[in-house]
Amino acid sequence: MADKLKLICGVFFVLTTMLSVTAKAQYAGYKSVTDLAAFKKQFATESSKVSSITSNFTQEKTLTALTETITSTGKFWFLRSNRVRIEYVKPFSYLMVMNGDKMLVKNDQKENRINVKSNKLFQQVNRIMIDCVQGTILDSKDFTTKVFENDKLYLLEMTPVSKSLKEFFQTIVLLVEKKDYAVKSIEMNEPSGDKTTISFSDKKLNAPIPDAMFAL
Amino acid sequence: MRCLLFSACCLLLMRCASDYKGLQATTPDAACAAKIAPTQFNTGWYNANVDVYGRHISGLLLIKNMPDSSFRVVFTNEAGVTFFDFGFLANGEFKVHNAIHQLNKKAVIQTLRKDFELILGLPFRKGTVQRWTKDDEVFYGVVQKKETAYFITSKDCASLRRLEWGAARKRKVTVLLPGSPYPSPEVLELKHHTFNMQIKLARFTKE
Repeated sequence: MADKLKLICGVFFVLTTMLSVTAKAQYAGYKSVTDLAAFKKQFATESSKVSSITSNFTQEKTLTALTETITSTGKFWFLRSNRVRIEYVKPFSYLMVMNGDKMLVKNDQKENRINVKSNKLFQQVNRIMIDCVQGTILDSKDFTTKVFENDKLYLLEMTPVSKSLKEFFQTIVLLVEKKDYAVKSIEMNEPSGDKTTISFSDKKLNAPIPDAMFAL
Repeated sequence: MRCLLFSACCLLLMRCASDYKGLQATTPDAACAAKIAPTQFNTGWYNANVDVYGRHISGLLLIKNMPDSSFRVVFTNEAGVTFFDFGFLANGEFKVHNAIHQLNKKAVIQTLRKDFELILGLPFRKGTVQRWTKDDEVFYGVVQKKETAYFITSKDCASLRRLEWGAARKRKVTVLLPGSPYPSPEVLELKHHTFNMQIKLARFTKE
C-alpha cells in the first residue's frame, strides 16, 4: 500500500514538474494568473476607458522552414465601438477598413467592398480584431484563453475552438501592457510553424480621429 | 435566317482555327535557346493579384530558390496568413506543404502547379527543345504529354517576349513579361485562355 502511494506521489510529482517546466519553457519569465475572473474584469474595465487608438505598427512574418522573414510597417486606427483602419505603407501599400459589418480592402490594383456578414471567416477575423482591441477577447467563444503575467505585461494565449479558425491559427498570443491594458503585440502562430507578429508603437489613446478615416 | 446561319458557321470556324496555325518548324538555334531560355529564377517577393471568375484576391508571393535546387512558392495574405506553400523539387516532383481547404482541391492545385511550373521555367530544363517560326517571332517548345511549353522570342533573339502552355490547337496559358527579364523578372502577367483567371505579380524589395 505504502509502495503504491509512493508510486502515485512519484507520478504526480513528475507530471506536475513536467507541466510547470512546459509552461516555463513556453513563456520564459511568465507565471500563470491565478485569479482569472479578476483579471478579466479589470481588462474589460480598463479597455472600456479607451475610445480610440492611433498607433504605428511593425509586422514580421516568419516562414520558419524557409528561414525567410518579411517585415512590413504601417499605421493603425481604432475608434470605438467597431471601426478599425489598418494601412500598410512599406514595403507594399495595402489598406483595410472595417466599419461595423462592412469592410474595404484596397491595394494599388483594386478596391473591394465586402459585406462581412456574407462571409463567416471574414466575420470571425473582424470579430477577433475588434475583440482584441476592445478588451472583450476573453469573452469570445472562438477561443479558450490562458493568461500569464510578468511584472510589466500580461500574456494571453488564445487557442481557437472552431475547425475553421484552427486551420489558420494554432494559437494567438497577445501581450497586454499592465500600465494601461493596451495591446503591445499580437502573435499569430500557424499550424505549420510559421508566425506573424504585429507590434504596436507610438500609441496615442483617446485622441480624436475623424469619422472620414473609416469611410467605406 | 441564312445570314444568321452563315454568321454562326463563321464564328464556329473562327473558334476552330488553331492558335498555332502557321508555325514553321525550323532547326533549333542552340545558342539562342541557351541564352534566352528562362531556366533560372532568383528568389524574390512579389505583390500578387489574382482574379478568378470575377473574384479578386491579393497577397504576397515568395518564390524561393532553395539550396538543393528546388523551389518553394508561398502565398500569404498581407496580414501574414498563409494560403498555400508549394514545393517544386529538383527531380520534378511536386509537394503541397500547406494549402487552406478552399484551395486544396485537385483541379485548383493542378492549375496552380502548371502556372508556376511555367513561371519558374521548369519545362525548359529537361526535354528536347524544338523551334518554330511565325511572323516575327520564334517559338521554342518542349513537348510534354498533351501540351507544349513555349518560350517565345523576337526573331533576332534579342528578348524573351512571353511564355505559353499550348495544346495542339489551343493556347491555354500566356505569361507576359513587361519589364526586366529572367532570372529576376519585375512583372509577370499570367492569363488563362480557357477560363477566366489572371495572376499579376510585381516584384518588390523587402525592408
